[in-house]
Amino acid sequence: MSKIIDAEGLTKTFPPSAKVVDGVSFAVEEGEVFSLLGPNGAGKTTTIRMLTTLTSVTAGEAFVGGRSVKREPGEVRALIGVVPQEVTLDNELRGIENLMLAAKLHHVPNPEAKERARELLRLVELEQSGNNRVATYSGGMRRRLQLVTALMHQPRVLFLDEPTVGLDIQTRTRIWDYIKRLNRERGLSIFMTTHYLEEADQLSDIVAIMDHGTIRVSGSPSDLKASLRGDVLSLSVNDGCTDLTELLRSIPSVTEVTRTDDSYRLKLPKVESALPAIITSIASRDIQITETSFSKPTLDQVFLEVTGRSMRDALESNGNGHGDRYVSARVSESK
Amino acid sequence: MIGETWALGRRSLIKWTRNPFAVIVTSLQALFWLALFGNSFNPANALQSSASGSLGPLQQAFGGATTYITFLTPGVISIVALTGMSFMGVDLVFDRINGYLDVLRAFPIPRASIYFGGVIQNVAKGMVAAPITFLIALVVPDGLRLGQGFGVLNLVGIFATIALLTTVFSTFFTGIAISVKSTDSFFAAVNFLTFPIMFTSTAFFPLSFFPGWLKPIAQVNPISLASDAMRLLVVNGSLSASQTSAFIGDWVGLLAFGMVLTLVGILMARNALKAR
Repeated sequence: MSKIIDAEGLTKTFPPSAKVVDGVSFAVEEGEVFSLLGPNGAGKTTTIRMLTTLTSVTAGEAFVGGRSVKREPGEVRALIGVVPQEVTLDNELRGIENLMLAAKLHHVPNPEAKERARELLRLVELEQSGNNRVATYSGGMRRRLQLVTALMHQPRVLFLDEPTVGLDIQTRTRIWDYIKRLNRERGLSIFMTTHYLEEADQLSDIVAIMDHGTIRVSGSPSDLKASLRGDVLSLSVNDGCTDLTELLRSIPSVTEVTRTDDSYRLKLPKVESALPAIITSIASRDIQITETSFSKPTLDQVFLEVTGRSMRDALESNGNGHGDRYVSARVSESK
Repeated sequence: MIGETWALGRRSLIKWTRNPFAVIVTSLQALFWLALFGNSFNPANALQSSASGSLGPLQQAFGGATTYITFLTPGVISIVALTGMSFMGVDLVFDRINGYLDVLRAFPIPRASIYFGGVIQNVAKGMVAAPITFLIALVVPDGLRLGQGFGVLNLVGIFATIALLTTVFSTFFTGIAISVKSTDSFFAAVNFLTFPIMFTSTAFFPLSFFPGWLKPIAQVNPISLASDAMRLLVVNGSLSASQTSAFIGDWVGLLAFGMVLTLVGILMARNALKAR
């Protein structure tokens, strides 16, 4: 695989304030879904704007499809599709007219553009509404149309800035499905920003956690979660007098045991594979387990680990009003 | 660049035609100017001329026009072009506010096509208003009286002049629209500029009515240049040598304005559309 995006020391300063993006470096392989995860104000949108040539680069360099965003902005624009955070369709035009205008501006020949427009409207289930004015569309329909408007010229890389912000969970899930299909079926490389943990977790091959203008850690969602050294198993027993700490610690794969009265908190790579051994060991002491629960590591925990605060705290401290949306995403994540 | 410019201009025109209210209001603006202003400010009223609406003794000052509305019509066509060109740019302000301009900037198109797309759609809209104004002027009471021998060439000359004037204003006001960050700033700038341009011109009254200190300004005002050029064609069927040279002089002045304002507009747009 070759690099579709390669950023080195990318920096943006808006004088006279501090650096908004402070020397970030990352690479996105062709066909990959790469997410920048972080609270609002982390520098995600500025990063995406530099990569899409909308904001100038103060220092560093980035290449998209092998073209420099600083020296070859026109060539970069021909390779990319951009879906901004706000819906920016023309409400007075019909759905199909928005698509055809995008095709025209990308120099797609008319017959080909018509064929692609039909196909893309079908992809996002808007073929029945394509001839209606966008003003009559629901918020979800507009997002779906906006997504495919950026695909009319068959870009090599699609940039999505907070693609589902403000959408209800059903619409969000549909958008996720389209993004997954575009990536899997068409091999489209996708670079997106999000502050939804679940979104980053579900869609991304690589997640880079961004905070205060810097990338704190990056990797696949599973690797990032695995870096927390596994699952957490909490259990309570019917005997608070016997200390089972050493017994539990002796079980292979249990890495950490903490006791509070009759309750224990175990850390282990994969709780499912160790659970039979744990139950058997405790039963061998004629002690019964009265309660168990376990949790898988989340990206929120990864965020907490690398930034010292949770995403919820970060969102609230930025006063961006997205805390409620974050909560709804997290609730669904725990289901 | 032509294809992209046309695609963007066409987009605005489609929107405009789908909003009949805007089209009707733009067209009716001329009716108000001619029917209300043309009657209430008619200098012939003050002179209590025997022939209603006739300028009588003022006819010479009014370039040979036999009615005030004959004198006023080219001025109103020019004023409608000015107000139309200045306010129609608001579409671009909204494009900036709702992020559409950013989307356009992410397309592999010359940035100039965004600017010229705005210019041509404004000119096209302005060219719809001009013939409507002309027709209204013909049917209002004591209205437009065309000079003897008025023909197709005069008509072509009138519409060529208005096309040039709308282009002059469109290039400038599109530059402003693309540069400002809010509708408040846009309307403040437009109001600030249009009223002085309007009232220092010979759109409503001849140059001889102006005080001495204002005459040089009124003479080079693009509204005056366009109004005077069109008046020559409206009032006179065929132009004499001196009238022809006056007509050419007005056109040269308008072209000079056009070049300067296009340059100013392009610089404003270029500055506004570059990555920061």
